[in-house]
Amino acid sequence: MTQPTLSRRGFLASGTALTALAMGGFLPPIARAQPEKVLRLRMDGDIKILDPGYMIGGIEIEAQKQCLPFLAQYKRDGDTIGWEPTYYVSKLEQRDPTHIDFELVEGLNWSGGHGPLKASDVKFSYERMKKSEWAGYFEVLDHVEVTGERTGTIVLTKPFAPFFLVTLCHGPGAILCERAVTEAGGRFTTQFPAVCGPYLFSNAPGQAATFLPNPDWSGPKPEFDRVQAKIITQVKATELAYEAGELDCTQIDSDAVARYRAGPPPGSELTKAGELNFMWLGMNSEHPKLHDIRVRRAIQHAVDVDSIIAAAYSNVATKSCGIICPGLIGHRTETKFYTYDPAKARELLAEAGVNGLKLSLRTLNTQQPMLVAQIVQANLGAVGITLEVIPLDAGPFWEMGMESAGDTWKDLELWTMRFGSVPDPYEASQWFVSSQVGNWNWERWTNPEYDSLVEQGIAESNPEKRNDIYLRLQEIMEETGAYVWLCHEPRYYVHRSDISVNVSPSGQQDYRLFTVI
Amino acid sequence: MSGYILKRLALAAAVILTVLVILFSLLRLVPGNPVTIALGPQATPAAIAHYSAKMNLDQPVWVQFATYARNVVTGDLGEDIFTGRKVAIIVGEQIGYSLMLMVAAMGWAIVLGIPLGCLAAVRPNTWLDRITGVLSVGTIAIPSFLMAIWALLILSVQLRWLPAMGAGEAGDYGDQALHLILPAFAVGLGWVGYLARMVRASMLEVLGEPFIRSARAFGLTPQRVIFSYALPVAILPTITLIGMGFGGLISSAVFAEVIFARPGVGKLIYDSVQARNFPIVQGAVVVTTALYILVVLLSDLLVSWIDPRVRRVL
Repeated sequence: MTQPTLSRRGFLASGTALTALAMGGFLPPIARAQPEKVLRLRMDGDIKILDPGYMIGGIEIEAQKQCLPFLAQYKRDGDTIGWEPTYYVSKLEQRDPTHIDFELVEGLNWSGGHGPLKASDVKFSYERMKKSEWAGYFEVLDHVEVTGERTGTIVLTKPFAPFFLVTLCHGPGAILCERAVTEAGGRFTTQFPAVCGPYLFSNAPGQAATFLPNPDWSGPKPEFDRVQAKIITQVKATELAYEAGELDCTQIDSDAVARYRAGPPPGSELTKAGELNFMWLGMNSEHPKLHDIRVRRAIQHAVDVDSIIAAAYSNVATKSCGIICPGLIGHRTETKFYTYDPAKARELLAEAGVNGLKLSLRTLNTQQPMLVAQIVQANLGAVGITLEVIPLDAGPFWEMGMESAGDTWKDLELWTMRFGSVPDPYEASQWFVSSQVGNWNWERWTNPEYDSLVEQGIAESNPEKRNDIYLRLQEIMEETGAYVWLCHEPRYYVHRSDISVNVSPSGQQDYRLFTVI
Repeated sequence: MSGYILKRLALAAAVILTVLVILFSLLRLVPGNPVTIALGPQATPAAIAHYSAKMNLDQPVWVQFATYARNVVTGDLGEDIFTGRKVAIIVGEQIGYSLMLMVAAMGWAIVLGIPLGCLAAVRPNTWLDRITGVLSVGTIAIPSFLMAIWALLILSVQLRWLPAMGAGEAGDYGDQALHLILPAFAVGLGWVGYLARMVRASMLEVLGEPFIRSARAFGLTPQRVIFSYALPVAILPTITLIGMGFGGLISSAVFAEVIFARPGVGKLIYDSVQARNFPIVQGAVVVTTALYILVVLLSDLLVSWIDPRVRRVL
């Protein structure tokens, strides 16, 4: 038997040859291990509750998207937001206004040996949601009919056009493993009882959430082997982390968008996810000082929205003409009853016999709302209205117009408001119906036509007819004189130029669909 | 000594009780419904009712306090209203990071500040003393959060020498140490100045004492006089200051934890106040108060061990 020998000369010769091969790129794959592809992102807080029925929302939905099945997902068609079936289904069709048929693809399994993904899991998940804290999203669900191991029908009690975009694509539409959730006691918080997606989830509170490859996953392989999401609560800190090269993609605020447009960090580009926030200046139409519509109309004419967008939003936000956000059915591009016209405002005040009017404006005490308030103060001052700005903490601010929270609503005069929406016009419109007076309709007007239009908008599935309904509905709102539409604040992400990002219009990143260009 | 320790422990219990009452009252006085704030403006009535009951907010205030105080005494700090996890576990996960930051920040401040103070005292009114004085006052005067941001911008963003965010990979001690440098630098910088000034003043006073003159008259070397006779006496007020400062760092380190996105008790309290997550705020403050009292107690015991005269004064 010959023993292998290694002389100094032989060792040097072999080493040199291997080095030359490596430098030339000729090493066999086994000798050159593929580096792990890691995507480094940011989460704005700790994951609290992953259970779709009891979650807070936001980042929890982001985690669900990586680990749980959904029937539908958002799709962008130019500037329009639509939906498409996910890779979990081979069929997803609306048979009629109240029946949606689905067929799950074969061969997808839950982790931990919990068996295949079944239609009964869909039934369990959606019918469970009806009794959850997110029941509103399933209000129109009657039941889910299981017609086979992987097939079924979602049966609605009445036509509900937003069901795909608002419910199936969004966090509440996540599907859970019936067996695993039942074994876990029916509810869960910071760990999924079972996953059926490309990633497993693990959480280091206060530090990071990590998504590791799911060994049981047989569906499409994601581009990145591992996703590390650092917990960074402050947006400004996030921008610094990105600039220091510690993140590959992160959300940024308007200031940073303007700065990066002028000179982005090397190898970076910006992506706009959506503009589903809407801001307005509200007026209490029942308040004695604002009861006369000519006074409210004067305020509409007096506010210079372009200056607000330039100063408070660095010219990054889109000027608003209603509550329906860009990309959605019913989005308005111009106002009907007012434009910025201080002379007209003075004329209307004189006509109403109002002189030396003093009003108060309540606003959140954060930077942007305070800037907006100061500009409104200057604008109203220019037409003879003295405005006192009252900055408030989030606590008292968000309940100041609610009758259930005391008598502050009686003193409400003006305020700046910001709502977030889902990618369907129905959600934004529902807060201003008559029954919301004293709850979220702080402007306190009622209109039977508006109430009826909201109902029609929900039931109507024809996009053109829906468009007309929502345009008319916003016209009614504007006509009340109780609104000065301000802007739709966009969600922007800065990311490495060699990465194509996938972010839902409401800001949840879908890491599974990130790709390297 | 045991009587002294008992008296100090009784005082510590009284301080903790006072903190509990103040904290509980303040949290209830903050405007706004904590549940609405925690869940966001569009929370469903069902969710609001569920969390109100979970936070005991549907009970009279005195019942809430009695329940809370009873639980604290029995070691139960409550549960996170969202996840249902034990607050003691949540605080336990974070406190290690805070202690690490405090030790690193105070450690480098002690290592640099005390020798600087000694040096300035043994060479009074020289250029060395003046430079030390200017540097000390400078480090005290510059706000620590500003120093943190500058350090971050220069050393992380511009030069990319040090990591910017987080506490480093779990289990990778080298990475964790690297992530500790900037926050510890920012938190400890002011303390270098404080300690240097404090030690200088004490040393100058002690160096003028008759026993130092006697030591010199006996022909002891200057080093022996300073390190064996002057410093042990001059350090006493500094030990008390370090004790109090060490405890205070738990809360003052919050800026570093927020700026550098580092886990820690300060950041946990900050985030929980923002989210009105009362059980975590209360639990974390109780733990940090207890820790503060423990550190101050230890420093007092150390001082009383070095100088037995202080045991007579509580």
